[in-house]
Amino acid sequence: MRFNIHKFYKTTLFALGLTAATLSQPHAAHADWPMFRGPNAGSVGIDAKLPIKFGGDEKENIAWRTELPGRSVGGVIVVGDQAITTSSSGMDQRRLHLISVNSKDGSIRWQQEFVARGRPFCHPTSANAAPTPASDGKHVFAFYSSNDIACVDLEGNLVWYRSLSTDFPKAGNDVGMSSSPVVLDGVCVVQIECQGDSFAAGLNAEDGKVLWKLDRPKQANWSSPTIVKMLDGTQVVIMQSSEDLLAVEPKTGKVFWEMKLRCSTIPSSFAAEGKLFVPAGGLTAFDLSSVGASPSKLWDNNKLSANACSPLVVGKSVYTISRTVLACGDLFSGESKWQTRLADAKSIWASPVVAANNLYVFSDDGRCFVVELGDKEGKVVATNELGEAVLGSPAISGNAMYVRGVSSLWKIAEK
Amino acid sequence: MQVRLKTQTIRRAAIFAIGFSIFATNFDSGDVRADGSLDSIKVLQTLTSGDDGTLAASKAIKQLNKANDVTLIQSLTAMKGATPVGRNWLLGLANSLYGKSGKSQTAELTKFLADANQNGEARYLVFQWLTSNNAVLRKELLAKMNQDSSPELRFLAIDEAMKIKLEDKELSMLLDAARHPSQVVSIIEKLKELGVIIDQSKQLGFVHEWRLIGPFDNVGTVNFDKVFPVETDWAKGTVKDEYQGKTEAVKWKQHTTAELEGVVDLAVLYEKEKGCIIYAAAEFESDKDQDAEVRLGCINGNKIWVNAKLVTSNEVYHTGTQIDQYAEPIRLKAGKNQILVKVCQNEQKEQWAQDYKFQLRICDSTGKAILTKGR
Repeated sequence: MRFNIHKFYKTTLFALGLTAATLSQPHAAHADWPMFRGPNAGSVGIDAKLPIKFGGDEKENIAWRTELPGRSVGGVIVVGDQAITTSSSGMDQRRLHLISVNSKDGSIRWQQEFVARGRPFCHPTSANAAPTPASDGKHVFAFYSSNDIACVDLEGNLVWYRSLSTDFPKAGNDVGMSSSPVVLDGVCVVQIECQGDSFAAGLNAEDGKVLWKLDRPKQANWSSPTIVKMLDGTQVVIMQSSEDLLAVEPKTGKVFWEMKLRCSTIPSSFAAEGKLFVPAGGLTAFDLSSVGASPSKLWDNNKLSANACSPLVVGKSVYTISRTVLACGDLFSGESKWQTRLADAKSIWASPVVAANNLYVFSDDGRCFVVELGDKEGKVVATNELGEAVLGSPAISGNAMYVRGVSSLWKIAEK
Repeated sequence: MQVRLKTQTIRRAAIFAIGFSIFATNFDSGDVRADGSLDSIKVLQTLTSGDDGTLAASKAIKQLNKANDVTLIQSLTAMKGATPVGRNWLLGLANSLYGKSGKSQTAELTKFLADANQNGEARYLVFQWLTSNNAVLRKELLAKMNQDSSPELRFLAIDEAMKIKLEDKELSMLLDAARHPSQVVSIIEKLKELGVIIDQSKQLGFVHEWRLIGPFDNVGTVNFDKVFPVETDWAKGTVKDEYQGKTEAVKWKQHTTAELEGVVDLAVLYEKEKGCIIYAAAEFESDKDQDAEVRLGCINGNKIWVNAKLVTSNEVYHTGTQIDQYAEPIRLKAGKNQILVKVCQNEQKEQWAQDYKFQLRICDSTGKAILTKGR
């Protein structure tokens, strides 16, 4: 029997492809949405059945709306029957709230409150409550622009708290920080990049101990770390900055690989279909099939740029938003397929989510554009008015979408 | 037998008395707690920062959650005298306890709120609990809190008071009570509408008379930590009239800012010079030895020295600014105090990175202006 190199390649690539596909399964509708952009940072609740039309004067398909203290530009997470979010209120937004809302009826289940020990200042459009909280299913981690971080259990009891600005006094940025934490392998990873004390750190989920700390470029960065599962099953944390892109082992902070790359500092990276999509030079795709080594570049396309919202993948397409233009590209080649302007949208800050092939994108005046995603075009099928500014990315759980407005939390579901 | 009983009674009474005095030292009110909980509370009260403190505190909070023998009022009372980081742990404990039984303790919480000697952050939390679903009570309480010892409650009270139309006398009283710059400015604007003119810069305590010298070299943004002769001479009190600047000899010049918020616009004064450093010096005459705060707003790299002591150093460029952006405690001596500010500009070309300015005020720890003698 002669060894056939072509057949070997085909078989191996097929196997790798299958593995890659299984590593980037879209979010099942019933599951938790435990951190910014949901599980795998995919922003997709593929099985969820969400209403196309909602809100307006009739409050159509609004299951409930709960007013919350202060303001927030962060997102919401869903853990079991709890929708959990943060707020900041009071003088200089120094009061930091962490609030659990019963997802069934919108009642407040528990609340925690702290006082910012770092500088709470930010741009008037932002808030101290800008990062989205994260959960490992046992704890909830609430992080704020002032670099205060608290961990509570699922009943809201304090497990630990740290003022990272007390530990690292020059950490901060008076435009406001917004990087959301991720939690993996019992470690909560925060990325605090600024002109002062600039670092990323892994904090023990159980007791808040700093397990590792990496010096980072001294430049402002608002992007969030992203969890990526490699082909060998290893889970790594990807971090990007205006200078580099790197993969870190969450338990130790060991850098698996790093490369010089001028990445965007607001939208974040994510992985799907065995590829890493990085907002850099427009959008750049890397091949994740090589284990241990820096991933090789597959393609880039400067027409797929993202100024604030993180990109996402649905089917064989990748989607980005630049200002008010939604663009679609081919997942494998990077070639542009189509783009459409969301004509009535103002500023868009909230990373969009997808359910049943419909993209839900909020502009900061509280209007939600529902775009039916097609191979040839994106068609706006509804424009919904919430009447409240939305700057945080929604969460999808069950057949419901949870939306963090600046001053309240909404559950949107078919009645 | 009778004697034995009496002895036991005395012993028990003595043990109770000692136990009570230990507890009272820590809590001021309530019943006796197990030593473990007392120790745990003390760990939280004295916590500073770092891993060791965090680990000790995480064990302490675990013990407190498990023992469940500290009352809500005790957790709040413990915040008095606790460190800032420690107070956040105690706030966490108090919130959990309130979630379990707080709603049945309205009378105790009302009493706690009324006690101005308790920690202000704890009282603010209690105020929120009591008034979150009671707008009438909120209004009623805030009407008496314009002078509250808690800056946060005072801020809310002044906000509430400003919602209705006020006469100039009432506004003047509010101005006297206000500490936050945004409220001071709002009240001054309302007084102006009534024909009462207030010197806003003076009211907020901005230093308005400066001596400036520069530009010195900061091309490549590399001289933030370079000690120019101005710094060393100023520290020794031997400042010269002229120094070698970035391209030529430079001299001190007097500048009085008339800006309402005390802004010294170096971009205007130095013709949009980039990659440079300007020094600004001021003399501040205090009528007594006193604690104070120097509060700076500056969108450029900056350092401040007061009486030759470095009080803050911020190598940060073009990431936002506002009044009181950097606040540092200082000790003013009776007589003349010397303030020196180093303001560094980089070479960013973006339109939003052209500002080169600062504003500095002296006030007490609550934000009330302290003025130089004669102003």
